[in-house]
Amino acid sequence: MGFNIIFSSTGVINFAQGEFCMFGGLFAFTLAVTAHLPLVLAVILAILITGLIGVLTERLIIHPLRHISMLVMIIATVGASILFKAVGRIFWPLESNPLPQFTSGQVRLLGITVSRQIFWVIGLTAIAVAAVYIFYNRTRTGIAMRACSINPQAASLMGINVQRMAMYAFGLSALLGALAGLVNAPSTNYHIGFYLGIKGFTAAVIGGLGNIFGAVLGGIALGLVEELVAGIISSGYRDLIAAVILITVLLVRPAGLLGKRDVVKV
Amino acid sequence: MMTAGTFRGTENPSTGRLIAWLKRKRAVLLFALVMASLPLWEGPVSDLISVRLLYTLRLVGIYAIVAVGLNLLIGYAGQVSMGHAAFFGIGAYTSAILATRLGWPSWLTIVLATIMAAVIGIALGWVVLRLKGHYLAMATLSLGIIAFVLFRELLPLTGGNDGINYIPRLSLPGMTINSKVGEYFFIWVIAILVLLFAQNVITSRTGRALKALDFSEVAADAMGVNVALHKIKVFTLSAALAGLAGGIFAHIQTFIDPKSFDVTLSIMLVTMVVIGGMSSIWGAVAGAAVISFIPKVVEALPKWFGNVPDWVKNYSNYQALVLGLLLVLTIVFMPSGITRGLADFVKFRKSPFNNPFRRRRWE
Repeated sequence: MGFNIIFSSTGVINFAQGEFCMFGGLFAFTLAVTAHLPLVLAVILAILITGLIGVLTERLIIHPLRHISMLVMIIATVGASILFKAVGRIFWPLESNPLPQFTSGQVRLLGITVSRQIFWVIGLTAIAVAAVYIFYNRTRTGIAMRACSINPQAASLMGINVQRMAMYAFGLSALLGALAGLVNAPSTNYHIGFYLGIKGFTAAVIGGLGNIFGAVLGGIALGLVEELVAGIISSGYRDLIAAVILITVLLVRPAGLLGKRDVVKV
Repeated sequence: MMTAGTFRGTENPSTGRLIAWLKRKRAVLLFALVMASLPLWEGPVSDLISVRLLYTLRLVGIYAIVAVGLNLLIGYAGQVSMGHAAFFGIGAYTSAILATRLGWPSWLTIVLATIMAAVIGIALGWVVLRLKGHYLAMATLSLGIIAFVLFRELLPLTGGNDGINYIPRLSLPGMTINSKVGEYFFIWVIAILVLLFAQNVITSRTGRALKALDFSEVAADAMGVNVALHKIKVFTLSAALAGLAGGIFAHIQTFIDPKSFDVTLSIMLVTMVVIGGMSSIWGAVAGAAVISFIPKVVEALPKWFGNVPDWVKNYSNYQALVLGLLLVLTIVFMPSGITRGLADFVKFRKSPFNNPFRRRRWE
């Protein structure tokens, strides 16, 4: 439940976002299990490599297209997503690439047995959210990035290098994506990215795009509703929930539960 | 080639009009002629290149019908849809269910499949077309997922993961089409009619309105174009064409399951439109052909060159990689697609890799 809220915090809409999660989990798997690196080192390396992939994606695919329409850009990120997925499938063809849990075992809490992994999920989520919040509000680069998302032209008049900020944004969202993938990593495979992407986007939209805490709330809400529906109706319909919620929220309350009005209606 | 003026003096005005029409549509008609003659020389060529032409071209025709509709929506009206597999699937399931449960003839069920997809298209289009850009893309993608899950979960209707078997073959009133050649003609007659129709749509008042609202919805609105209505119109048209193609698809395959209509298909359809060339009707056909032929050609490679590396033989694993690469490379280097890019190259000696499309939009 907790994993999909992290990477949605960035507010960057990118169809390949889910694939960044996939890379995070898969790289960590290779480094930790195949290359026998210590888990902490493997995790950090995996996150950094995925961040690098994010930056490369921006430079090679998004940057050359910056003068063309939004439509082309959307399709380009979709292309990138297919490409990444295919690469993932070629190098990690297994259905399940389990990463050892950070701490194994289960604890009983208030009468419910929960896996210890969940504490890592919640803890890392909290840390990531705090870090992103500080970055966006307290550092020059973070403030510049927010300026770019509000109005690129004005930002560029203020001497901000908009292109570079776009690159940073992609790198950062890839980093967070990788983290999300890692936390979820007990089993990661090549086709995990797609649904993660959709769910992350849904979480972000529920909370309101560009609103970090909204995205966190959206993630929690989505996770809960999914579990409920899977429990009450049928687990087959689980993947449907995010899609239905997404459309409904986009139409009924396009700004999300907490966000400011952003979607332009006809 | 004679000039149009030659026909003005023709005694019978309707003959003149007919000739003018033939002249205007000469590209499509020539194409139709080539396609019609294909079964005559298909055999030797198929043997030569080890690709079963007719067999593959049936699929190309089906995908071309969808891609032409999708191109009207994406290329001309600028409304992206990542969920057209849903309409393709709705068409296929409608036709399959009606034909297997009620035993209705397939020509009738295909018509009903088209209508079904159109009706659902109107309803969904009315809802989602309020959104734009990323939001529209995500919403249509979600529609695709919803449709896929419904195909899989509505067991009594769709047979779940097992799909529907023993779908009767294509038929016309009074005859059943059993042969490959028959199916080929059935599909391509429809495909060429769709091509002609789409060309007429583009040059019509509606077509101009669509281009206008792609360029700027505000400007189009100010010019008196009913933006919302036109968007729904073109969405419905593309949904109907997808339903039509899906209906035919079901009767060609005689077996359908949810996997054939997942998100991959939606993305493949968009890839066809982009590779062929957005806002180009021929581009949609070319895109459908490229995407359908790639796997067949790769399959045939061992017969051309004898030994090929193992990874070529295991192509199905790499198909997504090739599709993704093609999509990204086309978008980055040839954003107006292969047909427009090559046409510019031939006409203006302009490199297809740098064309006016790139500078058309705002900065």
